Amino acid sequence: MTGRDSGASPALPLDSADAPCARCAVPLYSLEGVVRRHGERAVLEVPRLDIAAGGITGVVGPNGGGKSTLLRLLALLDAPSQGVLRFAGEAVGPLSAARTAELRRSVTLLLQEPYLLRRSVYENVAFGLSVRGMRHAQDAVRGALELVALDPDVFQRRRWFELSGGEAQRVALAARLAFSPRVLLMDEPTASLDEDSAARIADAARAVAGRGTTVIVVSHDRDWLEPLAGRILKVRRGQVEG
Amino acid sequence: MDYLLDGLVTALRLLAMGDAETFSAVWITLAASGMSIAACLAIGAPLGFLIGYHDFPGRKAVRIAVDTALCFPTVVIGLLVYLLLSRQGPMGELGLLFTIPGMAIGLTLLGVPIVMAMTALAVEQADARLRLTLLTLGADGRQMLTATLWETRYHLMLAGVAAFGRIVSEVGISMMVGGNIKWHTRTITTAIALETGKGDYALGIALGLVLLAMALLLNLMLAALRRRAGR
Repeated sequence: MTGRDSGASPALPLDSADAPCARCAVPLYSLEGVVRRHGERAVLEVPRLDIAAGGITGVVGPNGGGKSTLLRLLALLDAPSQGVLRFAGEAVGPLSAARTAELRRSVTLLLQEPYLLRRSVYENVAFGLSVRGMRHAQDAVRGALELVALDPDVFQRRRWFELSGGEAQRVALAARLAFSPRVLLMDEPTASLDEDSAARIADAARAVAGRGTTVIVVSHDRDWLEPLAGRILKVRRGQVEG
Repeated sequence: MDYLLDGLVTALRLLAMGDAETFSAVWITLAASGMSIAACLAIGAPLGFLIGYHDFPGRKAVRIAVDTALCFPTVVIGLLVYLLLSRQGPMGELGLLFTIPGMAIGLTLLGVPIVMAMTALAVEQADARLRLTLLTLGADGRQMLTATLWETRYHLMLAGVAAFGRIVSEVGISMMVGGNIKWHTRTITTAIALETGKGDYALGIALGLVLLAMALLLNLMLAALRRRAGR
């Protein structure tokens, strides 16, 4: 399903494979009979779930319901124990490690408690660009910091330990926006933030979704999530609804 | 007690006057240890990362082997390297026996397990979010290695300092592989052992003071690096 922001022309450079898929009928994610087990216990069972490219999808549900497991599958960090997970039409499970790693480069995950590299803000935001071989990162770093409402002139020289919790979360988000991911997954991005910082995260999510990135957000804060997401998935007791 | 005081006074005079024999031993020690520590870090850090980061069959056995190597007697390493480098040995043709590079090979065998073990521990104890962060930012295997080692750089420096401390203070390898040849392979420790045996305490004390100064300098460097790393 496409959210309200889909369809806007992308301002950031996108993965070349993204544009055709956004237009075609193939869902960005397609899960068929997916089961994820921890040991013998099935922690997530998804008989069928399609997520279209573009827009913002919210994921809600109680703790231990399987939200994080779903997010790790969508981030291509884990493979299904059973069933088929397709990303842009490609079944992920049988792929080689190299191809999975290649696909994973178009997906990124913002952690609930972000980890910043023991470097400057600039180096943190530029890291994703440098691992992709992009040497001239200045403009992209500035753009990403502006997207999360942090003044690049003030923040880019700061070190990781000079940031508040809200600033660190926004720097971590900027680090993921800088390389224009095809999919941005966020796990409880506002869990420990004040209202202002949470609003900035929502603004950034809308902005990148408007530029063509598919945004999937797990949150307990329905007041924050509902106005933001075009579609809400409910995950409880390992089952996905919506 | 007078001989101790006399030895100390003479030692300080030797150092102040820039005694050639004393500083030859210092230079040879630094040359062999420098070569060795560079090799230890180049070999030990990536191997330490592999055993600290990856879960593979036999990992526990590798960890036990590395931990055992930490306690390897230096004379046994000296004997092994001597046999390797001696004329009839498999590396005899290289002519490295009784040379500084030959000593560096032995010292590297001593230091690599220390760097490996400490790097593996640092990687294992690194914040669990680091790995996930690097993966979700798109790092590949090589980039994971370099970024993780950079993130744990303070611990790597500690590993380097610990290995350097062990290397610079050992006697067995330097004596057996270097041969304790004056002006060529006589290090601080082999010189101390020899001169003390001869009853020349002054040179031994002077070189002992140099060793202590090295330890102090290393710790000061480490404190500065630690501050710089923001810890």
